[in-house]
Amino acid sequence: MEKLIQILEELNPEVDYNTCEDLVDGRHLDSLTILSLISEIEDEFDVVIPTTEIIPANFNSAKKIWELITRLEEEI
Amino acid sequence: MKNVLKSFVFLLILFILVELISYALVPYHNLKYSLYEISKYEILTEEKDTVDSIFVGDSLIYSAFSPMEVWNNYGFTTFACANSAQLLEDAYNYLEIANDTQHPKVMFLETNVIFRNPKNKVWYYDYKNIMSSLYIINYHNNWKKFMFNFLNNDTKFSKVNVYKGFKYIDKTQSAKYRDYMKYSEKITEIPKGNLDIFDKIVKYCNQNNIKLVLVSTPNMKSWSYSKHARILNLKDEYGLDFIDLNIDNPLGIDWKTETRDKGNHLNYYGAVKVSNFIGDYLKTNNLVKDHRNDKKYESWNESYEIYSKSVIK
Amino acid sequence: MSYFGLFPLFVFLPLVIIIYNILPKKVRPIVLLIASYIFFYIISNKLIVFVILSSLSIYIAGLIMREIDKDRDKLLEKVQEKEEKKLIKSKYKKRKKVILILTILFNVSFLFFFKYLNFFTLTFNDILKFLNIDYSFKVIKHLAPIGISFYTLEAISYLVDSYNEKIVPSNNIIKVLLYLSFFPTIMEGPITRFNEIDSSICSGEKVTYHNLCFGYQRIFYGLFKKYVIADRLNIFVKLIFSSYLNYSGVTVLFGAIFYTILLYMEFSGTMDVVIGASEIFNVKLPENFKAPFFSKNISEFWSRWHITLGTWFKDYIFYPVSLSKCVKKVAGLFKKLFNSHVSSLVMGFVALFAVWSLNGLWHGAGWTFILFGYYHFILIFLGNIFEPFISKICLKLKINRNNRIYKSLRIIKTTFLVFIGELIFRAPTVNVATGMIKRIFTNFTFNNFGSEMLSLKLDIKDYAIVIISLIVVFVISVLKEKGKNVRESISKKNIVIRWSLYYLLILSIIVFGAYGVGYQPVEPIYADF
Repeated sequence: MEKLIQILEELNPEVDYNTCEDLVDGRHLDSLTILSLISEIEDEFDVVIPTTEIIPANFNSAKKIWELITRLEEEI
Repeated sequence: MKNVLKSFVFLLILFILVELISYALVPYHNLKYSLYEISKYEILTEEKDTVDSIFVGDSLIYSAFSPMEVWNNYGFTTFACANSAQLLEDAYNYLEIANDTQHPKVMFLETNVIFRNPKNKVWYYDYKNIMSSLYIINYHNNWKKFMFNFLNNDTKFSKVNVYKGFKYIDKTQSAKYRDYMKYSEKITEIPKGNLDIFDKIVKYCNQNNIKLVLVSTPNMKSWSYSKHARILNLKDEYGLDFIDLNIDNPLGIDWKTETRDKGNHLNYYGAVKVSNFIGDYLKTNNLVKDHRNDKKYESWNESYEIYSKSVIK
Repeated sequence: MSYFGLFPLFVFLPLVIIIYNILPKKVRPIVLLIASYIFFYIISNKLIVFVILSSLSIYIAGLIMREIDKDRDKLLEKVQEKEEKKLIKSKYKKRKKVILILTILFNVSFLFFFKYLNFFTLTFNDILKFLNIDYSFKVIKHLAPIGISFYTLEAISYLVDSYNEKIVPSNNIIKVLLYLSFFPTIMEGPITRFNEIDSSICSGEKVTYHNLCFGYQRIFYGLFKKYVIADRLNIFVKLIFSSYLNYSGVTVLFGAIFYTILLYMEFSGTMDVVIGASEIFNVKLPENFKAPFFSKNISEFWSRWHITLGTWFKDYIFYPVSLSKCVKKVAGLFKKLFNSHVSSLVMGFVALFAVWSLNGLWHGAGWTFILFGYYHFILIFLGNIFEPFISKICLKLKINRNNRIYKSLRIIKTTFLVFIGELIFRAPTVNVATGMIKRIFTNFTFNNFGSEMLSLKLDIKDYAIVIISLIVVFVISVLKEKGKNVRESISKKNIVIRWSLYYLLILSIIVFGAYGVGYQPVEPIYADF
């Protein structure tokens, strides 16, 4: 989780990721930033995020992203 | 149930409001006539004794005759007194109404009307005419005459009827030319009853010093040589003028580009030709006056300004 | 025909509502389907065959995919080993992929035939001419089924979502047919997803008084935007774009501004009509506009303007392309050479390029539309490249990027860029577009401004009406942006105020609408795409 927040802060330092719950809907992460985020996550956690999982509901908060990662890790 | 009642009341109030606003927007000169009558007899929107000649007829006329063209080129005040599927009796009624507020010196009558059988009257035309009292909202642009006047004072003219009975429909549908005026020995009969009404019209015109001119405007669908021949007889019988614009296509109507529905009605370009012809006729026979420099008719100039905006691209 | 006429809104729609309501619940979806087909037949005649073909193709493809999934799940139950499971999954996925690709090709081929064949033959002939080859292909002219660009995208989303098991393909044929041809959305969208409306579209809920009123209120608001504002500006715009050389740069800029306003009013007004009409039948459609002129950059603009098109491209082009294997490989290479920022830019570049090429083409087969697409591509991409620098500079200069002045400046900049974009969009040829832009920048004088503005067939009272109406629309947008439901709060007022507001709205359309003598109405712009 800490690693994830580190990645997020590198991408956009202006947000408090522990509390923010509208990362996508509030336009803190635009689609290009999400791309960088995905490639970072895929390298760091060794998972593959399928395009079907890229929906606002999965990316709106750091917690949600973390849940997605753990879920994907289990599936493998 | 409560909701049905509520909707009904809502619509009723809306209808009343629209009627009230219509009274404010329509050029209105005589309280004798209702909105419904004004929408049926559009000439009632003109000020008293300003129109010098009228063209009475059916949809052919509101498609083929544009008084604004005549005004701009000749300075004569004319009006298209037309209703769709007009019967000869309607034409007579229109003439009476027109003569009540105007005192036209010339009346053109579209001859197609003479052949329309009153028995074939389509049942829904009356309802269509009632609906057309809502059509009155077509005068809605007259709000400019009495609103926001602090911006630019536009009240020096009264509310205007821009088209003067003409209906501008921006459409072209080519017709395949066929020789619809081919000579034939046949003569089309005029429906019973129409002859009596025609007689009434001629007498009315004579009594009121109106010169009656019969005109057949270009029309491929419902005009024919046999009708032409019948009107020739009629004309001789009463000693009237008859102009058939279908014989030898004197106006050079291009049926590819100048009709809006494959030869039945003319479009704007055809209407310009017919209107100029009428203006020319009035001028050469010296029947009416040129009012272009007359202060009293300045609203016609203003109408033309709006008119030219909407028809010329 | 457009949705704005008297016939569709005050004859056709009421008739459908009445028939819908008196028939039993079970038949109501069929009523909607028949109404949709009648409506489509009125606007596109025999071409209705193509909508039906598309709908049937996705219905059948969906069912086949569902069967494949079922077989796979049966097999999976029996198997325990992970490796073997993986193998089975990929095997069945391949089968589904064949179905997916074939059906997409089937649907896209219609779109290509109707919309692009003409353009591509013309272009190809030009190339042949350029190469001095004395041969040219015959150009086939034909009318496209109206709305084909919209329903084809819906068909693709249905197929891809079925493939990805995001939705369960429906075996209810009425539902699938209705999804593609639902008459409010068939002409100009919004582009819906099957799972957004599948439950409501076939629910057969009775039309309630509340829905009827709310629906028609929204319809009238749309009519207001179209008749009072869009149609009024149309002549002005037409004149500027057909003879811009006669006017100074400022006036040309106003041509672009007015066109943007016109487009927004026409399109969002249509959406009000469409969403209102659907609301009557209890179908809640996604919004297509969210105060687009409050955007701080172009990419935000596209998330507020024609939203359903933007999200479609994002879901079905942007992510699939950027996360595809070959793009990832290339990006990986860049990552080794440079850093992750560069590699994600590369991924984004490829994906954005694909999105905007297709977006331009989707709007129309013509060079201005392609230019329009790449214009936005460049702006968005540049925005992303410079973003880190700008944020660093701001940090150093201690500019608070959330302060009001900075925000407003960004909004003004974005809006100006949008004006130029829509200018390209409207211009008849690329030459005219570049000529107009040049004129804006080189001939910027206010010398004849007043007289020019008044010579363009709008008088001062027309401008007054436009300004007042825009203020009304603006206030409503601001309220909506703040999360207020305007219609809900009006409905809570007492009946005198409420009804007065409705009468005011309806009567102002009748009186101030730019119809009849002296005006030329806007043709439905998006229906041709």
